Amino acid sequence: MKLIHATFLTLVSLTANGQSPATTEKGSTLPRSFDGKPDLSGIWQAFGVALFGETGELRPGQGTKSSWGPPVGPAPYRKELEGKVAELASDNRKDPNVRCKMAGVPRITGSVVPLEIIQTPKKVAILYESGHAFRSIPVDGKPHPSDLDPSYLGHSIGRWEGDTFVVDVVGFNNITWLPGAGHFHSEALHVVERYALQPDSTIYYEATMEDPEVFTKPWAYRLILRHPPRDERIMESDCTENNQDLEHIVPSTKP
Amino acid sequence: MKRLSIALSLVFLLSTRVLAHHSFAAEYDGKKPISISGIVTKIDWTNPHVYLTVDSGNESGKVTAMVVEGHPPNILRRTGWTRDILKVNDAVSITGWASKDGSNRMAGRQVTFPDGKKLFLGPPSE
Repeated sequence: MKLIHATFLTLVSLTANGQSPATTEKGSTLPRSFDGKPDLSGIWQAFGVALFGETGELRPGQGTKSSWGPPVGPAPYRKELEGKVAELASDNRKDPNVRCKMAGVPRITGSVVPLEIIQTPKKVAILYESGHAFRSIPVDGKPHPSDLDPSYLGHSIGRWEGDTFVVDVVGFNNITWLPGAGHFHSEALHVVERYALQPDSTIYYEATMEDPEVFTKPWAYRLILRHPPRDERIMESDCTENNQDLEHIVPSTKP
Repeated sequence: MKRLSIALSLVFLLSTRVLAHHSFAAEYDGKKPISISGIVTKIDWTNPHVYLTVDSGNESGKVTAMVVEGHPPNILRRTGWTRDILKVNDAVSITGWASKDGSNRMAGRQVTFPDGKKLFLGPPSE
């Protein structure tokens, strides 16, 4: 077991340190892993304090120069479900995050705390500080299992489309919310994530959400993931430790 | 109308992400800023929020045990705090906003330490 662990760490180390600029399909250069794929490994964050220094300021979107990122337009809920969205959004106690439930995909990607990607040729792992959650994503060409039980983060399979890492996710439960307030979904949710490394060492992240039971059309969510400006590590976070918010939140009177 | 809708959606997406755990406005009133000074009696260095309990006196001499909510430890660690930077019996001043439910709780924004050092405890109200 120790040997396997050491081999894995060596592999991870090679992946992290073996960056060699190479020409992309468009002629620009990207940091690459030893197998030639863009190197997504490392600590990443879309928003939050670790990105913006020791000021304590949380300024979502600060420093963003690119046009990549939300707006994604309003979530395309079926007309008869818009009232339910407004009702859920009016009472923060109903937010599964406030109830310390694990966030799903893609909401967890937009957390204020970082995530870490560990990349190997046949498997990519994403470790989330939010909820201390993880995803193990096989890159082996196999389809989703047919007997999935619903889960918070679903079942993921990865593949490379050129220089973009694409993850297909199904098998969700209906407990989590999508990005935004009140954005519930059904177990029919299907998410396709795209991680496109850029020459400036950012990742253009896009998650397309399809849910025929609640949406009239697919909905896209975009983020730019960045490395924090200094060494960071993924820390532990147990939301249930001392959650006093539920008894003090005051619902909005106007949904 | 569509542009407004997209803009509102954007604000919605961003504003709900400002706090790691809950929406600021769900629990605190950004239009009711308050400042307290007093003695720290308890420090809960916990998730999803750090709480400081501060015995704060008013002009008539009445002492109130105010519970001050801050960021979780993971964020405070990244903004210059450590678990023992503040101790029970330290005298502090704290700015922030009042709770909406009328309890003796507040969202903490900035703490002034006994030596005059200032650190943010929680996010802005917007």
